[in-house]
Amino acid sequence: MDLTTEPMAMTGSARRAPGSAHLLALLDRARAGIVTVDRAQAILAVNRPLGELLRIPAAAVADAVWLADLLDGSAMLTEALAHEVDAALRGSIADGQPRTIAIVRGHGNEARFLALHVTPLADATWALTFEDTTERHAAEATAVNSALHDPLTGLLNRRLFQVQAVAALEARQARIVTVHVDGPPDHGSQAVLLIDLDRFKSVNDTLGHAVGDSLLGLVSKRLRGIARADDVIARLGGDEFAILAAAAPDRAGLASFAGRLVDVIGRPYLVDGHLVNIGASIGLALAPQDGDTYDKLLRNADLALYDAKASGRSTFRFFHAEMDDRAAARRSLEIDLRKALALQEFELAYQPQIDLDTKAVVGFEALLRWRHPTRGVVSPAEFIPMAEEIGLIVPLGEWVLREACREAARWPDSVMVAVNISPLQFEDLPRLLDAVARSLRHADLPGRRLEIEITEGALLCNEQGVLAALNRLRAMDVRVAMDDFGTGYSSLSQLRSFPFDKIKIDRSFVTDTGDLASQNAFIRAINALGASLGMSTIAEGVETEEQLARIRAEGCTSVQGFLFSRPVGPEQVDSVLAGFTQSRLSIPSA
Amino acid sequence: MQPLFRVLYCSRTATAGGPDTHIADILSVARRRNAADGITGGLMFSRGCFAQVLEGPIEVVMETFERIQQDERHSDVTVLQVGPIAARDFPAWSMAYAGANDADDPTEGLETGFTGHASGGQELLDLLRAVIVREDDRLQLT
Ligand SMILES: Cc1cc2nc3c(=O)[nH]c(=O)nc-3n(C[C@H](O)[C@H](O)[C@H](O)COP(=O)(O)O)c2cc1C
Repeated sequence: MDLTTEPMAMTGSARRAPGSAHLLALLDRARAGIVTVDRAQAILAVNRPLGELLRIPAAAVADAVWLADLLDGSAMLTEALAHEVDAALRGSIADGQPRTIAIVRGHGNEARFLALHVTPLADATWALTFEDTTERHAAEATAVNSALHDPLTGLLNRRLFQVQAVAALEARQARIVTVHVDGPPDHGSQAVLLIDLDRFKSVNDTLGHAVGDSLLGLVSKRLRGIARADDVIARLGGDEFAILAAAAPDRAGLASFAGRLVDVIGRPYLVDGHLVNIGASIGLALAPQDGDTYDKLLRNADLALYDAKASGRSTFRFFHAEMDDRAAARRSLEIDLRKALALQEFELAYQPQIDLDTKAVVGFEALLRWRHPTRGVVSPAEFIPMAEEIGLIVPLGEWVLREACREAARWPDSVMVAVNISPLQFEDLPRLLDAVARSLRHADLPGRRLEIEITEGALLCNEQGVLAALNRLRAMDVRVAMDDFGTGYSSLSQLRSFPFDKIKIDRSFVTDTGDLASQNAFIRAINALGASLGMSTIAEGVETEEQLARIRAEGCTSVQGFLFSRPVGPEQVDSVLAGFTQSRLSIPSA
Repeated sequence: MQPLFRVLYCSRTATAGGPDTHIADILSVARRRNAADGITGGLMFSRGCFAQVLEGPIEVVMETFERIQQDERHSDVTVLQVGPIAARDFPAWSMAYAGANDADDPTEGLETGFTGHASGGQELLDLLRAVIVREDDRLQLT
């Protein structure tokens, strides 16, 4: 029998329609494409949307007798997809159960999604319902995308990175098990690289967030350019990126990969016409040797990153077990430090500052000491950076202010106290001003007897805000000294921005190592500058008579150092003062 | 028309172990792409060092510069000058070239005095202009 030429009476879309005209009209209005077939897959009825959905020419729909004819005529279904439809129908015919399959045609943004439901109806007929789910998929995909991708760079975000890394690690473990059984062990490892941008913050601060954001976009493109196709790249947040090298080469290969990243990320950028220079520091941890869980790998990569940054940045470091030890030491220092304030383990020592003209003690610098029951006296060089890192410096600095003012209130009225203020304390200006005001009030100390020492680091960001705060301090009669002068790169310009009361010449110019002539020239220049700007100068770290003679010859107005007195406990301040009253004439003259 | 923008940088050929650097390859790609992008400029190569000027509309100059930055055939990029310009210095050249033919020969150098260290952007720019004009003349003679 020639089926294609068999004449067929059709009403609406139906051929041998089992139902009423109402039902057919209803089917034609459905959004889904529906075709019903019998056990032999002969078409019983087709609604109008089916042809549109599967992109079958109307003539082909009209002519089709078998389901296969319809599927063949579809510009939407490939042969493979038509085969899947056929398989689903056969399955349902065989067991009488409904089936649902998802059909995807094309890729990426072009992809079309169809859902096919195969439903057994009564009297040995089957309905195939095709539904276009592209929009739903797109909506879901965007939702998933924005929840799991970083909107700025399009890279994975921290959550999706974790999901993929965990999956990759598990896949590796599974592979090792099988390989173990039927072959030599698999030496392929995986690596996590944590990448932190150096100096990114200052780009944001100086050129603004829009430039910072564009820069992050360019960085992520460079990362994509260097990474291999199966590396997983993510932006974990801020200026921190991560790469999971799924099939990592050996250590040497990873080292050259990391080196290339440091090189290329560190090359200059042009952003909005601005030339921007940043660097990259990288920490690497390998699975399985440095950890076989995601958390452990990430933590160890982070330790390696810390090390890379500590060793000068713009470099990479592999994780080593000693880093673990160092981290443990840091952690225990942190724990002790957090307790130290409450346990009153801090104390202040006072080092006199002597005026070279009057040969009298004009003030004491308050110096912080930490006396720990088992560590002994911990050097500030060791604990101040940690205190800054964990934010303890702010309450600690406030304690120093309070304590120093309280002590100074007992001293003669002509003697000042100098207190160091950390740049971090300048990040909360109202709090700093409040701490100063309250310390003075509680101690009943006039503002003119307090001098705060700031380093140029305090002025580096938010210079305007800091200058305003310095002016407020000045309004309380508090004196302001510039500490460590001559070590930073912008010292000179900062002298212009605020009328400091005093310049503290860094001790490196006083110690007689290196080129004496140029050190002397420097001291002379600072003194001349101070004199012309109406600022006094003080030299720190004076230990020998020769040094004193030198700095005196170059015009310093006051000094501080072991030559006169070590820092002393508060109970010894009186005797230091008394000693100077008696021996003031023993200070060598110029 | 977009305002004109210029970048001048110098760099070094990648060290041993990196990809081979054939100037001819770089130039042919550079000229084709620059011609399509409306970029002009000059490239000089001598004793393992590149110096390049890129000039054109700001957006494409930034894009091209970014591509060149990612090129592993050179490194140690130092930008000497960057900013808007009133007119092009190399209007007729999608990428003029002066220097050795192959980066593999480290001894081959231009008689320009260029050693990769220019004391300032302006000096290098002047040098590039002078050299390229000279090469240009030579090409027209032959
Ligand atoms: C020293 C040097 C100069 C180059 N100059 C240009 C140039 O002017 N224009 C350009 O399109 N590509 C230039 N390139 C090549 C680019 O780095 C890059 O390979 C090319 O634009 C193709 O990029 P694509 O592979 O990402 O499409 C230069 C490469 C080097 C090493």
